[in-house]
Amino acid sequence: MTLLVLIVVNLIFTCVNAIAADVGDIALDVSLPVLISSEQTQQVSLNQYRGQIVYLDFWASWCPPCLVSMPIMNELRNRLQSQGIAFEVVAVNVDSDPEDGMDFLEEKPVDFVVLSDPQGKTPAAYKIKGMPTSYLINPAGVIEFSHEGFRPGDGEKIEEEILKLLENSQ
Amino acid sequence: MNLKCLLSVALTFICLSITGCESVEAWERGTLAKPEMAIEGDALEATLNNHIYFSKEASNGGHSATGGGCGCN
Repeated sequence: MTLLVLIVVNLIFTCVNAIAADVGDIALDVSLPVLISSEQTQQVSLNQYRGQIVYLDFWASWCPPCLVSMPIMNELRNRLQSQGIAFEVVAVNVDSDPEDGMDFLEEKPVDFVVLSDPQGKTPAAYKIKGMPTSYLINPAGVIEFSHEGFRPGDGEKIEEEILKLLENSQ
Repeated sequence: MNLKCLLSVALTFICLSITGCESVEAWERGTLAKPEMAIEGDALEATLNNHIYFSKEASNGGHSATGGGCGCN
């Protein structure tokens, strides 16, 4: 009996740790200061982008695949926006020292908004398992697709998902 | 207190301690990803050693991880 109680207690603890943001969930709001901004206190919230397809990306300067993904996503974002597609990238930098993220962006600037979360509260809320992790969020704020890592060809895969989402929402 | 009761308390404590173990989360691996944290200090030497190893052993992989410790590979 004691053993049964212990197993149940353990399972409860394990399950609490396993719940993560998943496809079909409403994307948790992310409200953070902008990493590089003329106004240091400028806050941006994910909910501001409701009505658009949003690519939410958690990245860090110490993660090589994250750095590969940044210019690719920048090019994709600019190309889709020039076609009149309501698409936006919101990146969250999780470097414990925001200067590291800033140094990378000074070298390779991007046009989308980059937020700073040195305490890692938002990746913890999303319970991400690897870096980078990204979520494709539909105009209603629901997660439609999640992606871990960034390998060659992933840019095309993400573009396909965006176009698929666009077709479905029309 | 009999032995059975004592054992139950000890087992409960052990099980709860196990669930309390801290793990390094994916976004906290900045320090671990630093070059000086690599087990093998010289990347070139490590590549050469691995090449010799798998040539001689006729096997490859399973002994080192690629990437920057970001848990993405």
